[in-house]
Amino acid sequence: MTDPVLPAWSEPFVEGRRGDLDRARPIGAVDRDYAFGGSDGAGVTVAIVDSGVDGTHPAVGGRLVASVKVEMSEDGPGVVDDPERLDVVGHGTACAGIIHALAPAADLVSVRVLGPDNRGKGAVFAAGLEWAIERGASVVNLSLSSRSEALAGVFHELADRAYFANVLLVCAANNVPGPSYPSLFASVVSVAAHDVPDSWTWFYNPRPPVEFGARGVEVEVPWRDGGWMVATGNSFAAPHIAGLAALIRAKHPSASPFEVKAMLAATADR
Amino acid sequence: MTREERLLRAVGLRAEAARRLEGSGAGAVLRSVVEATVALFDAEAASIALYDPSAGRLVFEVAAGEQGQGVVGLSIAPDQGIAGYVFTTGQALAVADVQHDARFGRSVAERTGYVPRSIVAVPLLDDQGGIGVLQVLDKRSAAAFSLRDVELAGVFARQASVAIRASRVERDTSALLASVLRRLAEADASAPDGGAPRDEGSGRAEAEEEDQEALDALVTRATADLGEDETGLWRLADQVARLRDADPASVGLLADLLGVLVARTEQDRRRRSGRQGGDRLGGAAT
Repeated sequence: MTDPVLPAWSEPFVEGRRGDLDRARPIGAVDRDYAFGGSDGAGVTVAIVDSGVDGTHPAVGGRLVASVKVEMSEDGPGVVDDPERLDVVGHGTACAGIIHALAPAADLVSVRVLGPDNRGKGAVFAAGLEWAIERGASVVNLSLSSRSEALAGVFHELADRAYFANVLLVCAANNVPGPSYPSLFASVVSVAAHDVPDSWTWFYNPRPPVEFGARGVEVEVPWRDGGWMVATGNSFAAPHIAGLAALIRAKHPSASPFEVKAMLAATADR
Repeated sequence: MTREERLLRAVGLRAEAARRLEGSGAGAVLRSVVEATVALFDAEAASIALYDPSAGRLVFEVAAGEQGQGVVGLSIAPDQGIAGYVFTTGQALAVADVQHDARFGRSVAERTGYVPRSIVAVPLLDDQGGIGVLQVLDKRSAAAFSLRDVELAGVFARQASVAIRASRVERDTSALLASVLRRLAEADASAPDGGAPRDEGSGRAEAEEEDQEALDALVTRATADLGEDETGLWRLADQVARLRDADPASVGLLADLLGVLVARTEQDRRRRSGRQGGDRLGGAAT
């Protein structure tokens, strides 16, 4: 059942459709061993812009090195330290756990953009993303996006700024019609879920906007308060690619965002 | 009955029609959406929570299914739990093994008397962003919801969003009519030429034409100070035009009146721009 109006971003990656992804590989010499063999993500910082991360969860492995949150004030959104290291939902902890499982030595930074105040949430998200870029995170995981047309320009500028600042943005595609920023911009790595129960399986789709398919169906993930959950959604596919990108960036520190993307594409499953 | 009284009554009847529309509201459509969702997924429950900006809470408005009813009327913070996350981020997701974590959703579960094994939650969206969340609990035939289920739930969520948008247009239109009526009453009370005598011998068509002119004049007076920025009105007109597809018979009435309002506002604007730089204190159009 595929509604023609719904952008079914996962459609190219599900069983029975993946044959369409076959094509001649332009970068044949790059394999997984070259891309990230022996890498554990050491020296790389991955920012998780989400609901916060529970740094005490065993699945995060003590790798959470900083936590901030975005607060709205009369002057607009501002980034402040988050000493509680709270995950108000569990979703950010899930993303952190997925990344840590793939890149166990990578440092994790939590940027909480969900708070009790729901006003101006697009602006809060933008402020959190800007902070992560300015801090110089190697990889930023964005399992959320904004639908605000008014902020499209802001997010486009941030996506460009990240790209030129050597920061790789990994964004979950949004499976609902309409705009979704920055996940549909060309400079980011946009990810939808596939249905293979293997975290080391990912696909490249040469037909944008959603170029990568990663594990996102029934993934066992850490959740808030030390709990666990089995979760499905593009939200859980993005951190798989973020974790792989962390491995690549640790092994190839000089690789630019587009070179990391090219290696992810070259080493994808066929 | 004076001509103005008859005209006011005519406008009042249209407003009454608008109020009746508001009464039918989105509730019935939302209920049918959650009922259809439960049936199609063969789920234990489905519910829709809408964001109430005045309270800053997500409020569960309707529910269906054997295990669903306990949630109606409950409200949660818009950033808490699965529903809050989906509402705030617009990101659809499904979770299973919820009971595996005893802490999950305990407070809500205690209040509803039902803790699900699995949940799919999808956002309800309009042009501006999130307006609520559709949740489906526990598909009977499977332990978890699939990617397809997430997308299918999204289709139902879109139906619900359309219904909510339509009902909000109705409510906005009713509010506009009510304010216009108030202004009409005030304008009528203060109008110096309100009770001009009419020619008893004029024919019915001519009388209707006069009525129309008088109605136009009333509406002009009522909308004269709508201001430079009528974008809200145009948006409303656009939405009503879309509404016409949904419910032609009743919405046509609203669209007719709105058409008059829009036409007169347009004339006013032309008149205003015609005397740009002129006597801004001159006030009322003649």
